[in-house]
Amino acid sequence: MGHWGWLIAIYLFLGGLGAGAYLASFAAEKGLLGKKTNLDRVGYVVSAPIVAFGAFLLIFDLGQGLKKPWLIINMFLNFSSVMTWGIYILSAFICVAFIKAFFVWKKRQAPAVISYLGAILALATAAYTGMLLAVVEGIPFWNSYLMPVVFVVSALSTGLSLTSLIAHFFEKHQVHEVRVSQIHLGLVATEIVALAAFFALIYSGSQGTIAKISANMLLTESLSIPFWLLLIIIGLVGPLAFYLLQARSNKKALLTSNDQNSALNSERGGIVSLLCDGAVLVGGLTLRCLIIFAALPVWNGILS
Amino acid sequence: MSPNKRVALSRRNLIKGGLLLGTVAAIGIMPIKVLKAEETVKENTTAKTKKQIGFSYDEGKCIKCESCVRICQETYQWESDTPWRRLLKNDKGNALSMSCNHCADPACAKVCPVKAYSKRDSDGIVIHDASKCVGCGYCLYACPYHAPHIQKKTGAVSKCHFCYNLQDTGSGPRCVGVCPTKALTMGDMKELSQKGNLDYKGLPSSKITNPSMIIIPKA
Ligand code: SF4
Ligand code: SF4
Repeated sequence: MGHWGWLIAIYLFLGGLGAGAYLASFAAEKGLLGKKTNLDRVGYVVSAPIVAFGAFLLIFDLGQGLKKPWLIINMFLNFSSVMTWGIYILSAFICVAFIKAFFVWKKRQAPAVISYLGAILALATAAYTGMLLAVVEGIPFWNSYLMPVVFVVSALSTGLSLTSLIAHFFEKHQVHEVRVSQIHLGLVATEIVALAAFFALIYSGSQGTIAKISANMLLTESLSIPFWLLLIIIGLVGPLAFYLLQARSNKKALLTSNDQNSALNSERGGIVSLLCDGAVLVGGLTLRCLIIFAALPVWNGILS
Repeated sequence: MSPNKRVALSRRNLIKGGLLLGTVAAIGIMPIKVLKAEETVKENTTAKTKKQIGFSYDEGKCIKCESCVRICQETYQWESDTPWRRLLKNDKGNALSMSCNHCADPACAKVCPVKAYSKRDSDGIVIHDASKCVGCGYCLYACPYHAPHIQKKTGAVSKCHFCYNLQDTGSGPRCVGVCPTKALTMGDMKELSQKGNLDYKGLPSSKITNPSMIIIPKA
């Protein structure tokens, strides 16, 4: 059996996170996150370094490649390997996102083709982190087309959270757009639905008994505490409740249009919102770790 | 437009957006799956090698002496916890001597990013070139039979290569040669597949990789 562990989980998490951060700023730049936004820069700036750092971590998970790093260049060779696709996608994304970040840094308008190319590559990066696992028939728990769906939605959600967090601390002008909470509400809700569908597909038996045993590990057995506590409660249901309340209270604030009141609300909401973004990140990392740790081979290597 | 209406509108948009996103994600991923399926089908019909040799194991003849495992270790000096060949046994008295199955659709070769695996067209042997391997471990997950292992000393994968070097000079693989009862033999898969398959005692479905190995269970 394989030896993938923490490093791979963190790598998959960072790949999605960096891609999601890029897409958050891209969405903000395109006006999808409200008219006044401060999210249109920081996501771009952090995306390439995050993905590059993740890829760098992966090198430490290699055996012979760590001792003879020149062999790594050959990882561009096999076009039927999803890992090779990933090497291309990640390299391209890191390059394009660096160029885009450079323009943002210099406060210049990047050519539209760069921004759009980056967005497409970001989506590809997020999807790749799921595809890498989804194509492995030897691990029935991973071998599901819903795997990349879950990872992509989680990437968007964690990316938006990270971008909001960094914007809070590093951007001079602060804005709290209702739109951001609404979008994030949609993302978290979609992730819950996707995750539920993922488990439903497994318990429908379409991936065999081994996949069910993996799923049991998460739902009721050895990994159930981090699953329910860190992923479901802290990472998903908590943020869902918060974004739901915020979308509501913002509606009320708009109705009463009591400036003092809403300023107060947004102050308190601001802190909870930061905690909430942190919780989304914790959930995202937990998700990757749990999926890696729950891998069971289709055959355990002994005669029954 | 009243503020209330604006919010309501954007919430509706939000739900629509969420739905759209979900559908896009699902539709976006489906073709990949379909593509993959098509690819496998194509491989099964066209990318077959000219000839495919394989192992045959007759459980009734095996006396569980483990000579096959021992000669393999002595010849190729693999570390004991990363074996090329194993004699699997259960407490009901069943046994199976197994190595890499030189599958017709080798999952290892498909996933290896550096193309360390190659499948010979002349006989279908799957050979792993350790000098190329970066030790990423992807093939360890992909192979359903636990055939590739990462050797601790080198950090590279190694696995059975059907003694291709010996076969090229006209002799057979060591394990087959040493088996005292002819329980472990080799042959052309065209004939062997008439006699059996590898779907036995909890082993993974042979549909995944099309292994070139059959087991003849004891009566
Ligand atoms: S048994 Fe495993 S290592 Fe051998 S050819 Fe088949 S998939 Fe590859
Ligand atoms: S561990 Fe080596 S042989 Fe296996 S997939 Fe990675 S590079 Fe290829």
